Amino acid sequence: MEIDGFDAEVLESSRDKSQSQGVYIYQPTQQGKGAGERPSKRRKVASTDASEEPKNHQSFAPLLNGDENAECVQLRYDIYKQLWSVQKQKIKGILEDVDAGVLMDVLSFVRNTSPQTYDPILAKEPETSALVTVGSNVSSLSRLLSRLNDQLAATGDGGVVVLESGDAPNLKTTLKNIIRAAVTNTEGNDGYQKFLTDRAGPRLLGYDLDLLHDYVQRKGTKKLVLALRDSEAFDPGLLTDLLSLLRSWLDRIPFTVLLGISTSVELFEGRLPRSCASLLQGRHFEVQEAGNCVDRIYEALQADLTGRLWLGRNITSTLFERSSDFFQSPEAFSRMVKYAYMSHFFANPLAVLLANPASTMLPQLRICEAIRNLPSFRMFCEDLVQAGFSKEVRGLLEDDQYLLQQTSKHLDTNQQKMRRLFQVVLVIHACLQHTQSSKKTSVSDLSIRALSGELGESPIVEEMLATMKTLDSEKLMCLLNSLPRALFNDAHFSAIQHDIQTLLQTYPDSGPLRSEYNTNSSVVKTTVVQQRVRLSKGKAKLPEQDLEYTKIIDRLVAILQEYFAEILVNPQDLFLHELFLFDLRNPLKETFAPRPRFAIERALASPFDYLFSSFDVTEGKISAKQPATAILYQLYLESGALVNVHDLWQAFYAVFESDQGDSCDERVVMTLFYGALSELKAFGVVKNSRKKTDHLAKSAWMGL
Amino acid sequence: MLPADVARSLSPQWPCREVQVQQLASLLSPHIPSPPTVVVHGISATCKSTILQAVLSTLEVPHAIVRSTECITARHLLTKILWGILEALGQKDEWEKFGKGRCEHVSMLAVLLEECLAARTAEQAGKFVLVLDEIDRQREAPPTLLSALARLGEIIPSLCVVLVLSSTPRPLFLQHSAVPHISFPPYTRKDAIDIMLNTGAPVVDGLPAETSSRLYPHFVSTVYDSLVGPTVGSIPTFRSICDRLWPQFVAPVVKGETPPGGNNEWDFSRLLVKNRVLFRHQGESALVHRIVPEEAPAPGTASRTPLASTAAPSSLPSLPYFSTLILTSAYVASHTPQRLDTIFFSKFSSSSLSARNKRAHHRRRLKVLSQAQAEDRQAAAADPSTPNKRGKRSKTRITKSTLSSAFATSSATTSAIGGGAGITGPSTILTARPFPLERLLAIYHAIDPNPPANPIRVGAVADQIYAELATLRRLRLVVPASSAGAAAMSSGNTSADAGDKWCVNVSGDWIGELAKGIGVEVGEWLAGGLD
Repeated sequence: MEIDGFDAEVLESSRDKSQSQGVYIYQPTQQGKGAGERPSKRRKVASTDASEEPKNHQSFAPLLNGDENAECVQLRYDIYKQLWSVQKQKIKGILEDVDAGVLMDVLSFVRNTSPQTYDPILAKEPETSALVTVGSNVSSLSRLLSRLNDQLAATGDGGVVVLESGDAPNLKTTLKNIIRAAVTNTEGNDGYQKFLTDRAGPRLLGYDLDLLHDYVQRKGTKKLVLALRDSEAFDPGLLTDLLSLLRSWLDRIPFTVLLGISTSVELFEGRLPRSCASLLQGRHFEVQEAGNCVDRIYEALQADLTGRLWLGRNITSTLFERSSDFFQSPEAFSRMVKYAYMSHFFANPLAVLLANPASTMLPQLRICEAIRNLPSFRMFCEDLVQAGFSKEVRGLLEDDQYLLQQTSKHLDTNQQKMRRLFQVVLVIHACLQHTQSSKKTSVSDLSIRALSGELGESPIVEEMLATMKTLDSEKLMCLLNSLPRALFNDAHFSAIQHDIQTLLQTYPDSGPLRSEYNTNSSVVKTTVVQQRVRLSKGKAKLPEQDLEYTKIIDRLVAILQEYFAEILVNPQDLFLHELFLFDLRNPLKETFAPRPRFAIERALASPFDYLFSSFDVTEGKISAKQPATAILYQLYLESGALVNVHDLWQAFYAVFESDQGDSCDERVVMTLFYGALSELKAFGVVKNSRKKTDHLAKSAWMGL
Repeated sequence: MLPADVARSLSPQWPCREVQVQQLASLLSPHIPSPPTVVVHGISATCKSTILQAVLSTLEVPHAIVRSTECITARHLLTKILWGILEALGQKDEWEKFGKGRCEHVSMLAVLLEECLAARTAEQAGKFVLVLDEIDRQREAPPTLLSALARLGEIIPSLCVVLVLSSTPRPLFLQHSAVPHISFPPYTRKDAIDIMLNTGAPVVDGLPAETSSRLYPHFVSTVYDSLVGPTVGSIPTFRSICDRLWPQFVAPVVKGETPPGGNNEWDFSRLLVKNRVLFRHQGESALVHRIVPEEAPAPGTASRTPLASTAAPSSLPSLPYFSTLILTSAYVASHTPQRLDTIFFSKFSSSSLSARNKRAHHRRRLKVLSQAQAEDRQAAAADPSTPNKRGKRSKTRITKSTLSSAFATSSATTSAIGGGAGITGPSTILTARPFPLERLLAIYHAIDPNPPANPIRVGAVADQIYAELATLRRLRLVVPASSAGAAAMSSGNTSADAGDKWCVNVSGDWIGELAKGIGVEVGEWLAGGLD
């Protein structure tokens, strides 16, 4: 068999993947073990922390082409650790605060229900089940349960056994899991083994609830909460079995069932058989929605008075899109934020400046070069030149020492500006609570606008100021009081508040003062001119105090406008915003919403997007130089829902034939064809058709 | 103690069961030899176990009771029987002598029990009764278990096995003749009312005892006739209904309202007339068990706003936007015939007048078809003996009410495969049909209310859809359709093949509401929608 050089090369390329350097198959490193050997038994090693500790020090790679010194790398890592630990504490506090209400309710419910209320004569159902609706806030239940467990364990009342649908394939395993979880909760794993063996009587079966009864008696447990985290996913038949069993043990083991429901109680109840539903009797608790919680977390992260790093507009919108459109827990939200923080410090060598390092520590040359290459540095210099400070610009460009000094100065002032920016966002949000009647704009919406520098001119703020003019004195005072305290350091604001108060004291019995913008103070006049009624609006005559009040309001609005205009700058215009504002959308998107299907389709449809090609790439054409699977996939894309295999083979062969003329070896191409077809089958894009034996059915379409 | 004495001593506590008590007492009496096996049967809530236990303890016969519902496997049951007997005989500490406390087969049990009973002390000797409660509900029971257990009494003369069944036994189900059966029939009307009156009326503050005792018997019999009797309710439901309704029923008396008709005193008929609404609404809701009981309204307000309390709006779950859209597409994909996909979902002719007319035409045709099918099914269900005649006639006369009832039935059942137990016929327009995943993706793009501005540049959403679909599957809103998947589902794993078909698992009106929230009108794509 003669294979000419070209064919050999094609074969070669498909056999050994030396050409495909860009793509590789992930093979986990095996530590000296062949594939056939048994994996080494996992043994508990006393502690691996000691060996891992030094590794942490080098978890960031040196940047600036590898010229960054070790101190800077370490500093970047440390400042990241420091910033994130502060934020983590805040998030934790908020999450605990959010759950506190429901936790108290559930706890008191668990404490107060007693199975002993079951009266066999009256046959009155005891309330032994709590239904917790969690909505899309799926993770909150596990938080709630672990805290519930802590509380119950602390008082010695009992504990919580958490059961997931995966733990419950059948009744035996479920019971085993329940017993094991209940015992290990307090005794630990060894305690469970000991509990099984060190009994007086004969050894019981693992699923015998007598074990649990024994345990309950021994520990004096008063409450044993059985929590089903995802009740919907349980098999209804199993659930019925389990509940009826628990029911018959209720006089001996004080069970309380806690069901986590993500949809609605009606739906859950409708799915259960009647006999099962009749075993349950309980109360319904609702956990707060995730969206609200996420808003609070965002506010705490961004609008902090000591913040040093902020998330930019793109990231904010990505974050909120994900939390509103998908099932996402607050934890997932904070993980995304953490990733953003991490990427910033990992990949930005200038982030080291956020730590305010001593200038001697820095590799001055490199850092200064990097600063001078920032787009914001260029803008800053251009502005300086336009303002006529060319000397400073020369200094910045030539004197490294001066540049570093200026950098740290501007970093401070600009960070201050960012802090004030978010203060204004909070102020506007507080004002909107008073002026907007129906739909409330959230902090996140305002932040997105502020971060893109649009808030000052946005209709929201204009509308707010217009409404503010019409407020009467009572509402205005209420509004002013609700504003953050920091604002009143400003002399103008305190003056205004003082003026209003004196005005109110001067006219104590005039009721709430109204400004002239109020609708109540304008009068509609009707005049009949030439048999037509004409309506004309005019100002009613206002009393003295109202006129004065109007003046004050005008002043307030003017001050606010000025204040907003001063502070609401576009963060992207600030010098050094690359340091304290992280706004790269891609790392987050790629990591948290990967697109494997898209990538596979693209790789198959245009393989040279990924593969290095030694031939000149002909755009969008099938050629024999491509991998065989890709060729076949592209042919497959051209066909309808049913493909005749012979036609496919003919087309496949034609591709090679046109490329190599008569020298093409049919047998070699046939092997390639078979290999490619089986790979497509493995991808799940084709399957055998039941309608026609010699046809293939398409089961995936591109671009969905 | 004579059987009659036992009956007399027990009847104050458990009335209306004298016959059964006497039968049991005479069969199990310690002084007379018992039959080796006794079968006690009757539906639930007929006091079988309680009476049996009471009789045994009154007679002071040594006995052991094993609740079969608490045993997970047959082996578990056998072990429990052994321990139960050891415990009853006070030989628990000597468990190692008897098979090391282990028992894996009935034949083994027979040997062990014989040893146990032989090892009794002289004063313990005599009859021993073993009660197996609800033995017909035993899980994982081998088919020969019952008849094997029934033989135990023959092998061991001093043992009497009592099998308590909650279903009516078939003749000769023990493969054994002349086993005495004691039946516990459901309580009759008279019995039930007697039992209720025996415990007396629930105490209501401010109601004189004399009035209470005068009105309560009438009230109880009315409740029985209107609510409990027709629905074959048991004593516990009867009692709970009485307890719930009684305070509301006598509320006019307690609050001192003046009775109509110039009388000074409320009598039963006046109260009944006043509380008609109460019986209709409160009573019916009392029959249906809810996991979360509705807030019991104050007695005064109940009579005025009974509708508001019963027709509470069912709260919709809050799914995220994207998941709602996927669920909606799944629903539409399940309920639209595949051959009409190009007409309903094609982007090429979506806005033209002719396309809209075409779609409306197909919707109407589907509607007529579904009506016909629903009628057929109803006719078949209502009257299986003469389905042809009625079915044909009703097909020609389609009224609005039949249609709405047809749609109501379809939306009331969760219409997954095998979900609706009543619907087992061939698949109809009204039942959800399985669809491949790719079709769901395509329909998602067609019904997306906020389509991307440039459809060519948009990133593929398929990967995100998979992730959300996994969550929806965990919530059992969308389930894999293959029946083989049912086994996999129960173990909670969420893997699926590419070619697998899926099916939506919730009712339509519910999804319609959800979809409206995100701006999608489901009716646009469904049979009979938008009309």
